[in-house]
Amino acid sequence: MGNISTGIDYKLHQDARPNPRQESKFDPLFGFTEDRKKKVMLASEEELYSAKIPAENRDYCAHLLLDYQKCRRNHWPMVYKCHDEKHAYSHCEYEDFVDRMKAYEREKRLMARQRRIEARGG
Amino acid sequence: MSLLKIGARTPLNILVRYAHWNKDWKPGPVPKTEYEKAKAAAKYGLLPEEYKVYPDKGDGIGDYPDLPLTSVESRDPTYHWDFPEYRRNFGEALHHKALLYGEDRYDVCMRPRFSMPMMLAWFLSAMGGSFLLCYLTEDMAFLPVLPKQLPKPGIEHYKFE
Repeated sequence: MGNISTGIDYKLHQDARPNPRQESKFDPLFGFTEDRKKKVMLASEEELYSAKIPAENRDYCAHLLLDYQKCRRNHWPMVYKCHDEKHAYSHCEYEDFVDRMKAYEREKRLMARQRRIEARGG
Repeated sequence: MSLLKIGARTPLNILVRYAHWNKDWKPGPVPKTEYEKAKAAAKYGLLPEEYKVYPDKGDGIGDYPDLPLTSVESRDPTYHWDFPEYRRNFGEALHHKALLYGEDRYDVCMRPRFSMPMMLAWFLSAMGGSFLLCYLTEDMAFLPVLPKQLPKPGIEHYKFE
């Protein structure tokens, strides 16, 4: 039900809540004292192309997806042998999702901050 | 066939009955005089007052009669037709577009239960209501996450640590 309360919250305060379809409008380094860790793309374009990975899966976990698919191909039909690779990929996706949740919360707080500053008169 | 001598005086209905090839089923030339019209009406098994010709547009309809359009579906299903599957009697002249109005096709005589504006209003209200609901409930339920960051050349993405 969290999705519906989020949606109603967004509908009621549309100017104070981040749109789930828009990228962050703020500087990603704003408010960080130390340098943020960069996401690194480990899989190359050629690898992804030759493995026919769909465009929506070509994210920062794609190298783990490649490992998983390779393992499945090598061990077919004993795919249970690939549970390590599968778990590694799922965990990477999970961490990415948690990062997106944190990014939403950060966006929300930065928007509130901006509104406070505007209310004070710049 | 050779026993039957076909001459100028052979009745036309006999000619039609002995027709055995597509050229024999061809309609005749457009009748002009009353006598020709009566002859053509008899050929198609119609009374002279029932017989009407299509205007001669050069499309080859010729003397074929302009019959009232009745769809098979709307004919009486309990009547003892000679051909019940077509609801048609033997020798009955067909409308020249009868194939379009068979039982499995369009019924021109259909009386719809609701009027056309009523049906249109119901259709538009159902479809419009659906679109309106879709429009109003857009972003009504989502997980609190920003869109997935996909690697793009020239753009840096950062982790939360």
